[in-house]
Amino acid sequence: MVFSSILFLFRFLPVAFAAYYLAPKRLKNFVLLVVSLVFYSWGEAKYFPVMISCILVNYISAILIDKYRDNVRIRRTVLVLSCIFNLGTLGFFKYTNFVVGNLNSLFGLSLPSINLVLPLGISFYTFQTMSYTLDVYMGKVPAEKNLIDLGAFVVLFPQLIAGPIVRYTDIARELKERSVTLPAVQEGIKIFILGLGSKVLIANNVGALWTEVETIGAGVGYLSVSTPLAWLAVLAYSLQIFFDFNGYSLMAIGLGKMMGFEFPKNFDFPYISRSFTEFWRRWHMTLGSWFREYLYIPLGGNRVSKPRLIFNLFVVWAATGLWHGASWNFVLWGLFFFVVLVIERFGFKNFLEKHGVFAHVYVLFFLLLSWALFAVTDFGMLRDLFTRMFSFAGGVDWIYYLRNYAVVLGIGILFSTPVFRPLYYRLTKYNAFNLVFFGVILVASTAYLVDATYNPFLYFRF
Amino acid sequence: MNLLKKILKYPVVLAFFLFIFLFTAVDLVKPDREYSEFENKYLTQRPEFTLASFLNNEWTSKYETYLNDQFVLRDDWITLKSICESMLLKIENNGIAYGADDYLFEKFTTLAGDSLAQFERNVGYEKTFIDTYGETVPITFTIIPNAYMILPEKLPEGLIQVDQAAYTAPIYEAVGDKAQVVDFTGALTAHKDEYIFYRTDHHWTTLGAYYAYAAYVESLGMEPVALDSLSGIEVPDFYGTYFSKAKKFDAVADTITYYPIADAGVIIDGQEADGYYDLSKFEVRDKYAAFLRGNNGYTVIKSGVREVPEGQEPSKILVIKDSYANSFVPFLLYNFDEVHVVDLRYSAVSMKELLSTENFDQVLLMYNFMNLVTDTNLYKLGY
Repeated sequence: MVFSSILFLFRFLPVAFAAYYLAPKRLKNFVLLVVSLVFYSWGEAKYFPVMISCILVNYISAILIDKYRDNVRIRRTVLVLSCIFNLGTLGFFKYTNFVVGNLNSLFGLSLPSINLVLPLGISFYTFQTMSYTLDVYMGKVPAEKNLIDLGAFVVLFPQLIAGPIVRYTDIARELKERSVTLPAVQEGIKIFILGLGSKVLIANNVGALWTEVETIGAGVGYLSVSTPLAWLAVLAYSLQIFFDFNGYSLMAIGLGKMMGFEFPKNFDFPYISRSFTEFWRRWHMTLGSWFREYLYIPLGGNRVSKPRLIFNLFVVWAATGLWHGASWNFVLWGLFFFVVLVIERFGFKNFLEKHGVFAHVYVLFFLLLSWALFAVTDFGMLRDLFTRMFSFAGGVDWIYYLRNYAVVLGIGILFSTPVFRPLYYRLTKYNAFNLVFFGVILVASTAYLVDATYNPFLYFRF
Repeated sequence: MNLLKKILKYPVVLAFFLFIFLFTAVDLVKPDREYSEFENKYLTQRPEFTLASFLNNEWTSKYETYLNDQFVLRDDWITLKSICESMLLKIENNGIAYGADDYLFEKFTTLAGDSLAQFERNVGYEKTFIDTYGETVPITFTIIPNAYMILPEKLPEGLIQVDQAAYTAPIYEAVGDKAQVVDFTGALTAHKDEYIFYRTDHHWTTLGAYYAYAAYVESLGMEPVALDSLSGIEVPDFYGTYFSKAKKFDAVADTITYYPIADAGVIIDGQEADGYYDLSKFEVRDKYAAFLRGNNGYTVIKSGVREVPEGQEPSKILVIKDSYANSFVPFLLYNFDEVHVVDLRYSAVSMKELLSTENFDQVLLMYNFMNLVTDTNLYKLGY
């Protein structure tokens, strides 16, 4: 189930929240577990056992790790086994066909591929549960004895399918003791509505431009569009992915707040960054910190020799790329960041800090290119798209698209910067403003969801 | 009391849950609709639950479509969205672009992949049909150009649509030796300043159909009936298929003109029908369905204005067509004694049998271009 749907807003949400609010305190986690399992199983019923085994394996592993804290061999064996299970599940569903396809084309084999839909949110929840077992192993938290509490954490519906990647340590305390207060619920509702508007009103609207051009690209080829339209389309995609992804994160954070959870922030105006180092501190922050915590630092982090540091960065960014999808373009996308981050680390960052305007241009220019690389999985089409972007071809097709999308693009660009932030904080002090502002977004979003011709879920590859 | 006061301090909470719970409750109790006049479509009904369909995700996805289709105040939400789109200065909604002079156009920017394959298959079926029967009966072949081809200056600037002429030219050339080819582009373009296409619908108007008819019968060496010798009846407030998709809140309605014809009997799929026009349809939203009483498989219309000389066979024409022909066919009754009309989408008639039992003087194979891209029934030409 996705948040941006009539089903979620007018069936799941009222039932889930009524049950949750009415349940006595000691049953709240149980209610949460049940409604989250329903949320997960909707449209994914056959993967219900995958989720259950994911909960059970990590629950048992952590308890064993805790119990044999003094026996390094057992402790380590259990950890390795649980990691094999977590990564194995992810690998099986997400990367089998990728590996098979590569082996086939490399050695001329004809191994069969599997015909399975990727379980919704698997990349998010396997990372979340792994963080739990790893943290128990490293002694940061004790193992959770209560299966219901752990289950509620793993399958917690707000952050289940598209992040933020909430680590067990983030909400361990709240799982045991949290309170639902009116100010927090109001704040949560506001954040949820902002997220809904981000996704439905901005991302879907601007994304339609990219999708139209993509259809032309997949049909008669990107070479048939004009250069201005190619850039316009990539700009539209860049805005779509930000507002879509940030929208989901905001909805998750808002829903969490409405239930007494504080989820970590996931996006902090990434497009105003002046370097890619800064960008990755602002973009999908919970993923970056996950890789830092559980891959980069275990590899030695930056307290190593220069070649080893470069190797560590290479591994982290190749993995980050691959996490976004089982296709070579995602690996390249990750490695692109590896290259620019290494260059920035070895001196370029100092230059960028002194030249603000150049720094913005540099980030935005390469960011657009990186999103093109991210959006197009077929290398032939990607070549055509880049060719069209850099070898000029005129035409009038862009006039129509610019006219049709100018306001939406403008809104997208403005709202990806913090220009309205001071005004927002000032005005949201007034309840009258809140009622009108959030009311309009909610009602308009509902209208767009009822007449939804374009409402994609972008993270089916994640 | 204390709680109420507290809640009133956080009105967003109250308003949000009121909105969600109220709409959920009303949506749960209100009856389902079968058909939407506004959108001119059948709405999804509650899917039947089976464990198998639930497990393979069929039931869940149908249920979501059902919820959307039946959502309380659906028509109003749709209008609201259309208003929002206009406020965002959008010049399209749901794939319908807003052109000049209140004309709506379906966006048709690429012909590739599956749709190109379907188009080529359909043209292939037509070619095979012509190859099979072209020597035994005179066949006229045409692909009707859609409105934007005739009225390109009404398209929004920069909207590059598929160039239909580039596709039809080689097809016309290929079938030219076995069939007579008539291209309506010229006849329609000559009258482009007249009201020959609906603004809110994908069809040509009856006037547009008349000019095409005139071009067709002239190509057969016949005299078209003069339009001013007929008296038309105008039906205002027609909102067509493009409107139903875009639901543009400030769209300008069309006027449908029809010419009551003297028929001597209309037989639809073997049943005697009450005239060519279903006048009751002029009262509802889907007014175009009045022509030929909607879409039917096999219709035979006998002319009431012509007399078959004694001892002679009546002249017969077979029209194989889509809905564009529904406003075109009446005029043929001035040139033929019997008009047989086949719509393959709804027909189970065997073409082989029909062509061998009936002695047709003419066959007209007439589809509009965009229908050839989507129609999946032309294979029936081979049966």
